Amino acid sequence: MNLSGDDIEKLRPKIRFKVCYEVGFYCPDVDDIVQESLARFLMATREEKIHNPLAVGAFLNGICRNVISEYRRRNMRDEPMPEVVPEPPGKSIPESDLFELREAIGQGLEQLSERDRHILRSFYLEEKSKEEILKQTGMSDENFRVVLCRAKERFRAIYVQHTQHPGSLRH
Amino acid sequence: MSMDFHGDPVRREQLILRYLQRRLEAGLAEEWENHYLGCDECFEEIRATELLIRGLGEPVVERKRIKDVTVLSFSQSTQLLAASLELTELSNAIHLESDTKVLIDLSRVSRIDSTGLGVLMGCYSHAVKNAGVLKLLSPDAPVRRVLSMTKIDSLLQTFEDEAAAIASFGHPA
Repeated sequence: MNLSGDDIEKLRPKIRFKVCYEVGFYCPDVDDIVQESLARFLMATREEKIHNPLAVGAFLNGICRNVISEYRRRNMRDEPMPEVVPEPPGKSIPESDLFELREAIGQGLEQLSERDRHILRSFYLEEKSKEEILKQTGMSDENFRVVLCRAKERFRAIYVQHTQHPGSLRH
Repeated sequence: MSMDFHGDPVRREQLILRYLQRRLEAGLAEEWENHYLGCDECFEEIRATELLIRGLGEPVVERKRIKDVTVLSFSQSTQLLAASLELTELSNAIHLESDTKVLIDLSRVSRIDSTGLGVLMGCYSHAVKNAGVLKLLSPDAPVRRVLSMTKIDSLLQTFEDEAAAIASFGHPA
């Protein structure tokens, strides 16, 4: 399996997100863990250890998990490892990273109708099921999907646009 | 057999939501990670959902102080209707604070129903109970019509100009 520079750069934000998810967005060692995971993954590809190209994600996930476990063990040398790993502090994107995106997020929301925002709040923030929302609003299943997909498309474009500019939304 | 994460976008969103909240069962979380680490589309969907949730969770009611008057306004175009989060936020903004001079900017409110009017009246009663005053600023034509039809505008003074509204409260020397 050959990986180009582009392929590797596509993997980096994914590994970074996975690492931040596990160790927290404020962990000072995120870069080291990401680098180590990438290095091991590249080594494995060079040694042709990945036999099933469809299982690249699983292989990468395995490497990340190992590197994170080793990191945790190193950090907890003097204490027994807990059976259940506590949730890390900083579970979501830091405010500082969102700062430059705030305007784009605001504009993205403005482009949605009030009704759409209400539906999305019910779904994402109030965690109402699709069935509850359909009953409450009288909308059809198809319309609900359109609302969801339209919003996701806008925010996906915001994410993609900002990742094309170095320094924005690094995690 | 591995799960098809692309089949149903609504189910995928529910899964992403639970994953971001760390409420996904461990086995499924691992399967999801195995998938998105190899799938650009699903990874972008996670990040997009994160941003969308952040945006939706931003407070809608903004508060500023001009002289000794608290001005409450809406950061997005809004409808003050039954079951809308904006109403709860507005009500909390009034009831959880002890401001005595409050101006509610309705310029971004496009519709209001009886529940919305009820909340406005509740805010007014709360202000009066605390020896305070509550006034309204720049309602749109449809909202103005409802305020007039229900005669609420005879109780709640309404202004078109912010400076004039602020001046009408009177200020300590």
